[in-house]
Amino acid sequence: MDRRVLIRLEQMKKHYVMGEVIVEALKECSLEIYEGELLVILGPSGSGKSTLLNLIGGMDTPTSGELYFNDLILSRSSEKELTLYRRREVGFVFQFYNLIPDLTAGENVALAAELVPDPMEVDEVLEAVGLADRKDHFPAQLSGGEQQRVSIARALVKRPKLLLCDEPTGALDYQTGKVILGLLNKISQEMNSTIIIVTHNTAIGNMAHRVVRMSSGEIAEVAYHENPLPPERIEW
Amino acid sequence: MSTLTRRLGRIIKNTRGQFIALISIVMIGVLVYISMNTAFSNLSRSQETFYEENHFADYFFHVVRAPEGVVKQIEALPGVINATGRIQKDVSVYREDGTRAIARLTSYPLPMDREVNQLHLLSGNMFENQAVQIEAVVDPQYAEANQLHPGDKINIISEGRKVPLRFVGTATSPEFVYPMKDASSLLPDPKEFGIVMIPHLQAQQILNMTGQVNQVVIQLTPDTDPKKLVPKIEEILEPYGKLASYPRSDQLSHAALQAELDGLKVMSRFMPIIFFLIAAAIQYILLTRLIKSQRPQIGIMKALGYSNRDIILHYTGYGLAVAIAGTIPGIVFGVILASVFSDMYAMFFSLPQTIGGVNGKVLLLSILLTTSVAGISGWLASRGVSRIRPAEAMKAEVPKIGGKILLERWGSLWKKMNTSWKMSFRTAARNKTRFLVTVLGVASTAGILILALFTSDAMDYMMTHHFTHENRYDYSVHFSRPIASSEISSWWQWPEVENMEPVLEVPVQMSIGNTGTDGETEDELLMGLRTGQYLKGIFDEEGNPISLPEEGILINERTAKKLAVKIGDYVNVETKLGIGSTRKGRLKVMGVNRQLLGAGSYISFQTANHLLGEQGTMTSVLLKVEANKGSITEERLKEMSSVDSILSRQKEKDNFFSLLDSMIYFIGIMVAFAAILGLAIIYNASTMNFSERRRELASLKVLGYTKKEIRGLLSKEVWMQTGVGLLIGLPGGKLLGKGYLQAVNTDLFSFPAIIYPRTYILTALGIILFVWLGHTLATRRLNDLDMVEAMKERD
Repeated sequence: MDRRVLIRLEQMKKHYVMGEVIVEALKECSLEIYEGELLVILGPSGSGKSTLLNLIGGMDTPTSGELYFNDLILSRSSEKELTLYRRREVGFVFQFYNLIPDLTAGENVALAAELVPDPMEVDEVLEAVGLADRKDHFPAQLSGGEQQRVSIARALVKRPKLLLCDEPTGALDYQTGKVILGLLNKISQEMNSTIIIVTHNTAIGNMAHRVVRMSSGEIAEVAYHENPLPPERIEW
Repeated sequence: MSTLTRRLGRIIKNTRGQFIALISIVMIGVLVYISMNTAFSNLSRSQETFYEENHFADYFFHVVRAPEGVVKQIEALPGVINATGRIQKDVSVYREDGTRAIARLTSYPLPMDREVNQLHLLSGNMFENQAVQIEAVVDPQYAEANQLHPGDKINIISEGRKVPLRFVGTATSPEFVYPMKDASSLLPDPKEFGIVMIPHLQAQQILNMTGQVNQVVIQLTPDTDPKKLVPKIEEILEPYGKLASYPRSDQLSHAALQAELDGLKVMSRFMPIIFFLIAAAIQYILLTRLIKSQRPQIGIMKALGYSNRDIILHYTGYGLAVAIAGTIPGIVFGVILASVFSDMYAMFFSLPQTIGGVNGKVLLLSILLTTSVAGISGWLASRGVSRIRPAEAMKAEVPKIGGKILLERWGSLWKKMNTSWKMSFRTAARNKTRFLVTVLGVASTAGILILALFTSDAMDYMMTHHFTHENRYDYSVHFSRPIASSEISSWWQWPEVENMEPVLEVPVQMSIGNTGTDGETEDELLMGLRTGQYLKGIFDEEGNPISLPEEGILINERTAKKLAVKIGDYVNVETKLGIGSTRKGRLKVMGVNRQLLGAGSYISFQTANHLLGEQGTMTSVLLKVEANKGSITEERLKEMSSVDSILSRQKEKDNFFSLLDSMIYFIGIMVAFAAILGLAIIYNASTMNFSERRRELASLKVLGYTKKEIRGLLSKEVWMQTGVGLLIGLPGGKLLGKGYLQAVNTDLFSFPAIIYPRTYILTALGIILFVWLGHTLATRRLNDLDMVEAMKERD
């Protein structure tokens, strides 16, 4: 794959001090993530995949090693710079959607749109996730799948270069989960965004260009898929 | 200790900021309750005991002079318990340094046992009848201000003669608890005016009134209707030149003390209620929220077998803990403040048996009040626990149903609003109770601030009005007898005198109707001023200056109200000068005058003279002198025997300022209370809001919101509450002030409900400061808002 590198990890480590114990959440990782790539990070709980995602998302800084986003050295950025990074470059999809209950679907998306100078049209994004008719509904009036789609729309409206998804189907049933994955796949193909999905569901790996397997805080394996499967053909 | 109690301890520890905020509100409530109620009950008990033990009169009658026999006649009337005849007269006192003061010479028949308005000796000895020199006791303030020591001489001028009195002690009586010269001297100047008490026989001698009295004071049986009895007494006194008759409620000292008691009563009822209610409301909200967030735990407790009662008691315990922790320091500080109040009152009022100390009933009531308020709010908040079914409760809570709010119907406005404002409006609409409690809290804080600050506005307004508009003279010089204007024409040659205007004061009895005898009558002082006068300003009810007409009367507002007369009506007047025969007149009401301090109606100098059948006669003169030349004039006047008293405007002013100084403490305490209340309310509201929305806020942080933006988002709601609170609180404060004044104001003196814009601005600024501080304190943990929290499963 001869695409441009968007994110580079160089011997990146993350330690947490918990009381008197030092937990090595991430042991020396090196990895390059490309523009337009759909990357799936797989691993059981405690494998370090969420830590990795948090670091890439600018929510945390590594203990040692370097982390680059284009020319920006995230590993040495101040909190302010990291906030700006998250604001401009990253879209985030949570396992439990984390929508603001007091705002309608449309307003939840607008809340993110107000953060950037050149956002997409709220209606357009909602249309893209198939929720144009649910714009004025509050989260409590939406199903889990619909809420996750709002969450994806909220992430996309900022036109992020990077879309991070933390167990996006974790709280959804099988059918709904597949719809969400299909949506992410479509975004990857049509918008040329870099998408990173973190999950413990190995089957999801089949739709990725590349799969990174994590185990005990280390990258255990990196696998390339020349011909990823469309989500509707994935079974689990 | 049971596990549930230990758990309660942990809940308190986890919410310690809010717990402390709550106990401070309760503490202040208790403190105010105890201090004001103790002060009130002590003061009113002192008043009651003193009045009773010293046989305070129920009714007062003034005549020119009457034979002593009338006293027996009056005493024989059914309904009269006791009647005392006495002489009371204002005389000049010559001091060693040549300056003059006024003494209200009051006589007391000896022995005093059964008499009305008995004296209570405070220091030294009581006067005796057979003493070689006339012995006198004096009110304690005058004695102190003039540094009198037992054996000192007090020289009074009586019937043109200098009479030395020997000072033997200080004493007070129910009618001199707050010695006031007249209704216009609200602030006593004890150096210039005092009560001098001497034996009745000797008073008769030195005043040339052997066998006579000029006042009769009576005590009535409780079931006597004064309306029926008083006319009978007036009939007895009729031949002797009746000057005035009035009930106890119009007696100056009593009215001043009663006004203070009334004010204290209002404050002692209303202030603690604000604090207790707010504490209860916050507690209710806090517990409701706590219980909601602890649904799963409650489910587990129930599944384990704890009864509804156990769990309700567990959460109600939080309220009781607040009550106990707040009441104990509240009692301690309340008792301390109560003694400060008592000392302060002892300074203002000479009540011999000032009852101090702790009032057990008030303490007990305060404990009962706080615990029951806490108990009720705790129970109200936690009674819903019984509806929780263990199986359901252990599952995560169903998310709140979102919905449109009223404001959204206003489509055009709603569309223009940015998303974070929409969010704040919806949260507010969703938590109506909390929003409302915070709004009312802010409004109460504003109300208390205005109440604290406005008294100084009213004072300042009164002072400005009184000293710069109503009274432009430097000295008001009273003569011992009416004199001809020509007698003082030489004063014009004094180089320092800039202006001089004569005054003829005529005390009258005023009535309406054709005969002048039927219906209401009022005692009134007519002030005859030269038309076009400058040194005395006259104002109508709206505060606009009115000019004095050649004929007719500018009647005093309060007198007009009592007699129910209006402009264009006629009033009958009957002179009560005390010398010469009574003269009658009829005056057309040309206007109504309002005086903030003082009383009296205005007529022209001409009309006043005409009323007395005189020409150019005056009783006093108003003087305006060159700046800083006052001492020269004072020196000149000191020498004159015809001068009875000199009223210096400057001294009056100084007196006023010293009162304003003493008010600063009161204002400071009230502002501090308001500050704590405001801080505590906002701190609680913001803390609740913040901790409830942690997860939401963490996700916003992930989305790229800066800390400042998140704080701004949270504060929008607080400022909304502040804005609405101020909208209610500022006019509410004015109403509070008016209500307070209504309780304090009497017929004799009234404070204007004046609030300067400055006070509103200061109040609003104060509130903004408290809100900002409370909110910043509550959201300081925004810094360690963990973004990883947003990833976690819902707990």
